[in-house]
Amino acid sequence: MVGLSAGEKHFIQGGIAQDLRTDGRKRLDFRPISVETGIIPQASGSARVRIGATDVIASVKAELGKPNASQPDKGKVSVHIDCSATAEPAFEGRGGEELSAELSVSLQRCLLGGKSGSGAGINLSSLIIVEGKVCWDLYIDGLVVSSDGNLLDALGAAIKSALSNTGIPKVQVAVGASGDEQPEVDVSDEEFLQFDTSSVPIIVTLTKIGRHYIVDATADEESLMSSAVSISINRRGQICGLTKRGGAGLDPSVILDMISVAKHVSEQLMSKLDSEIAAAEAMEEDS
Amino acid sequence: MAGKTPTTYSPSPRLKSKPAKNDAYDSVRPDGRGFAQCRPAFMRTGAVNSASGSAYAEFGNTKVIVSVFGPRESKKAMMYSDLGRLNCNVSYTTFASPSRAQGSDHKEFSTMLHKALEGAIILETFPKTTVDVFALILESGGGDLPVVISCASLALADAGIMMYDLVVSASLSCLGPNLVIDPINEEESREDGNLMISCMPSRNEVTQLIITGEWSTPKINEAMRLCLDACTKLSTITRTCLKDAASSTQD
Repeated sequence: MVGLSAGEKHFIQGGIAQDLRTDGRKRLDFRPISVETGIIPQASGSARVRIGATDVIASVKAELGKPNASQPDKGKVSVHIDCSATAEPAFEGRGGEELSAELSVSLQRCLLGGKSGSGAGINLSSLIIVEGKVCWDLYIDGLVVSSDGNLLDALGAAIKSALSNTGIPKVQVAVGASGDEQPEVDVSDEEFLQFDTSSVPIIVTLTKIGRHYIVDATADEESLMSSAVSISINRRGQICGLTKRGGAGLDPSVILDMISVAKHVSEQLMSKLDSEIAAAEAMEEDS
Repeated sequence: MAGKTPTTYSPSPRLKSKPAKNDAYDSVRPDGRGFAQCRPAFMRTGAVNSASGSAYAEFGNTKVIVSVFGPRESKKAMMYSDLGRLNCNVSYTTFASPSRAQGSDHKEFSTMLHKALEGAIILETFPKTTVDVFALILESGGGDLPVVISCASLALADAGIMMYDLVVSASLSCLGPNLVIDPINEEESREDGNLMISCMPSRNEVTQLIITGEWSTPKINEAMRLCLDACTKLSTITRTCLKDAASSTQD
């Protein structure tokens, strides 16, 4: 936990009211973002995203599995976030569990869309190999290495980057296997299919402090928040998920206003992230 | 239960909106309701005698029971706090759903219930102590969480816990072009998106809002309006229920 004196709190709040935060940013400015991709060789795709002092790693692993009986035409995706005690002493033991669960649920909500699969960032039907028999299980794991606020946005960006770095091996299904037999599949270790990430949303969290709201809050600023709204928005400007955090209530009109601000901010963040991912991919190919 | 007729809390649909005629989507719902029609709501306080306060709610086939214990002394291991603590737990009975399987998202429900309620309770009034809210879903018929939230706030009021206002909650499913309020299980399983709101109507404050699926801004506007309207009407039902309980004890 951040322990701030009354004076420091007043200073931060006053700065936000005047649209000049303690690190010189305006209310709707992000900290510099840097992206590195392909940092974990064992994974199908991976990325490390740093936003200011917040540092997170995301890895994507694809494994062959069996689809659920209730949804034979869909693959499976599971999101798990680990808040390591190296990031903050408060995460030690069971301390990080609650935060981990909250982040995992929010990210799952943003990536997987509605129950019918519409509006999903990841097209589950594309993960199927043989209907009802074989599919890809996508394991998305996030690790918080260093925490200085705005974890959800950072993890969202890291997962998006990791997915665009993901290559799913090409699969040959042996012909002839019919009926109830489990078909034989041959996984290629040379040919990979690029994962389509065009509809993966990004997450923008607006933190309300006093009467104003800010994006990309630092840990100090987050300790002063009354409530926060995390909104995930895709490339077409559609809302793909929304979660409210923090105890204080919000006026419905404020929420609608926050949604329109988040939409505006997300356009800039999306293009910034796209160029960072492209640069990171180019770097990886050079080396 | 008592012989009083159950009341519903359907929001008033916007007059100009006409139901979209589309063959792929029926204009009638599986249980015969209209799109903006809620299930009948039935609520009673005092379901469990040993609890400080409790409530039973029945919205269509969804039946839940919530008991509130405390405020009682916080566990010794907890640090001193001049604010009270709220502890929420949501569980399903093994016979709540057709297949005798344990649902997986109880833990998620518990945190969501906690978040929906914490903004409404005046925690300063019971320092160093904990209030436990235990919710049990007897039968899951869809829209379980909103029912649990509304029922829990009624139970808290029954226990005499100080609150700014009663918290009521409503959910809405997006099925193709239609917005369907208070969905049942069948509709929830094939929905394109879901919006759940919990609010304090007399303060006009939203305590929790969760949206899944893909939404455009006008759709969110309309969905929020419908849910907030339903919440306002539901809070009158909850209030009447409390008043009835209070006047019957006086007699």
